[in-house]
Amino acid sequence: MGRREPAWRVTTAELALAVEQERGQGDRATSYLLSPFGARMNRAVVAGTLAAAEAVGREQPSSFWRARLTDPLGTVSVTAGAFQPSAMAQLRTAPAERPAIVVGKLHLFRGRDGVAEVSLRVEALRSVPEAEERATVAETLRQTLDRLDLLERLEHEPSATDATLRGLGFPSPWIRGAREALRRYPETDRAGFRASLRPLLGHVAGLARIATSAVADPRVSIHVDRPRAPAAELTEVDRQETATFLDAVDQAATGSEDGYADVREVLRRLEARGVAGGRAEELLGRLEEGGLLEEPIVGKLRRA
Amino acid sequence: MPTEPPSEEPPEVPLREVGARSPLVHVVGRVVSVRRRDVVRRSDGTKRPLLAGLLSDGTASVRFTWWDPPREDVDRGTILRAVGAEVREFRGRPELVFSWKTRVGPAGPAELPRLDGDRLPLRTVRELEDGQEGFRLEVRVLTVAPKPVSVGEERRVVFEGLFADATGAVAFSSWSDFGLVAGEAVLLTGGYVRTFRGRRQVVLDERAVVVRVEAAGLPEPAEWLRRPPRPIADVEEDGGGEAVAIEGLVVGLLPPSGLVYRCPQCRRVLAGGLCRLHGPVSGVADLRARLVLDDGTGAATVAAGRDATERLWGQSLADVRARLREVEDPAVLEEQLAAAVVGRRLVVRGSASCDDFGLTLEPGTIDAADVDLATAAEELAARLDGGA
Ligand SMILES: [Zn+2]
Repeated sequence: MGRREPAWRVTTAELALAVEQERGQGDRATSYLLSPFGARMNRAVVAGTLAAAEAVGREQPSSFWRARLTDPLGTVSVTAGAFQPSAMAQLRTAPAERPAIVVGKLHLFRGRDGVAEVSLRVEALRSVPEAEERATVAETLRQTLDRLDLLERLEHEPSATDATLRGLGFPSPWIRGAREALRRYPETDRAGFRASLRPLLGHVAGLARIATSAVADPRVSIHVDRPRAPAAELTEVDRQETATFLDAVDQAATGSEDGYADVREVLRRLEARGVAGGRAEELLGRLEEGGLLEEPIVGKLRRA
Repeated sequence: MPTEPPSEEPPEVPLREVGARSPLVHVVGRVVSVRRRDVVRRSDGTKRPLLAGLLSDGTASVRFTWWDPPREDVDRGTILRAVGAEVREFRGRPELVFSWKTRVGPAGPAELPRLDGDRLPLRTVRELEDGQEGFRLEVRVLTVAPKPVSVGEERRVVFEGLFADATGAVAFSSWSDFGLVAGEAVLLTGGYVRTFRGRRQVVLDERAVVVRVEAAGLPEPAEWLRRPPRPIADVEEDGGGEAVAIEGLVVGLLPPSGLVYRCPQCRRVLAGGLCRLHGPVSGVADLRARLVLDDGTGAATVAAGRDATERLWGQSLADVRARLREVEDPAVLEEQLAAAVVGRRLVVRGSASCDDFGLTLEPGTIDAADVDLATAAEELAARLDGGA
């Protein structure tokens, strides 16, 4: 226990295409966001241009701030809440539009329309000289290419052992992430993704500045098998359990200081009412996907 | 099966030849580690004292249990002669039990078995394991420096440094002055391996034999000490190592960092004015930073001392103490230190060890990483063009 999760070097494009999750079991379990390109992320480092932060919600003073981080391939939302006072202070007080390196935990949010959006909850943030930001973009590109090479090799040689791959210089956490990516995203256009990385080169070389206004969507297709239960087929049991779940969320939210319902608190309440942990996780996933619940901060729920 | 008391003394054997086939043996060995404890008897609840530890004679190390030992301390380093020790096997390895049947007494270094070096196997640094001995080792001395220590009342000098061969580097400490010089190649016989605070080291005492050799294929110190950084995940998989270099971003700062107060006797960081060992003491101010360095493959804790912390922070200990009078709350100082270090790209070299919390580096040097963007862009362009 206690080993720290590495911060994966990823581009905003890779985050935008990551829609699969690996939820840990138990109280202190770690969850991962899985990308099609072998990143198995609990936390990540993203370098780019950070815009001014804006307050989220109606509370005064606001306890939740959001800013856009843009790299040559796209943009990602960076957030900080009241539970990270120093990260929030840095997000709020820093000047607008500056090169920055952001380290954060990943959060996958699925809106009403079922579209997934990844955000980065700040753990550490630094405004840096442009050269330092470019150095981190270079590192990100190098590691992304390394991971694509690893996937290539694994696909051609599925029987390759971990020891063989380590012998070739691939670190263990990457090997695990690559195997998971091949399993979860069997039909991914990796060549297309590889080609879409090109704008990073110009940025590393200092030839291009990041245009925060117009960033094209990366044209990469991925295919995920995600059977979706149509809402019409809800059984009476489902309906009752859904109601029980939402009750538990309301009760936990009423009792909390910040107005959010703590996920663990909700799960405890459900267990007391006979809804077991595995079933509760399933319901949570469905309610988030169905747009009834939001998890704006990891581990904190509210009604949408 | 009851054992008959021996009619005559069993012959003396080196520890390497101790095995379950001879239930009673006669050995001479040095106490490498020892711990005293009491075992509560189930029958009447009374306590029975015992010493448990490791005995070594240069050919092997064997665990021993000494029931009803003498009341006075048996120090590490003491040489014992045990006649009629019982041999037991635990998990396939022999162990010695000193019981009422065993005569145990002190012995001198000259009584230890003579080491026939040529018969001992030649090991590489990578093959060394905790507790190992009875091997030869051909290595280059990378660094060596004398260090004064006190053993009880006595002041002694220990020579500490690093050995390396083509498979890796390992720390050593020598209780004898063999006149080791950085850069020379040596063939060692009679050392043993122990792990101290997660760090493996070769220990040489007065019985070790050091022979200068002409060895091809051993790394040069300069080359070894300037090796390029390795992925943190790989260093972690090796369980740490010596003269290791890693490069990454500072992604966090662990407490206690910043201004700390240390016990004047043992240098431990005080918590609430208390030393864990010496109780309430008047602390000595110091600076430190426990940096979390991450390279995308893994993370390591870098324990930066005062000099490195001052350089990274751009503040001297005196500056920080002066500022404490203005801000009152030391937590504010820690946040200022975090703001100064987080997000910086560093190359750290030093000794790495691994425990349940992951990899920790005791840094020898901490430098800002030097990134050549033009070269990086060229290299990456070649990869993008050449790729599928
Ligand atoms: Zn102390």
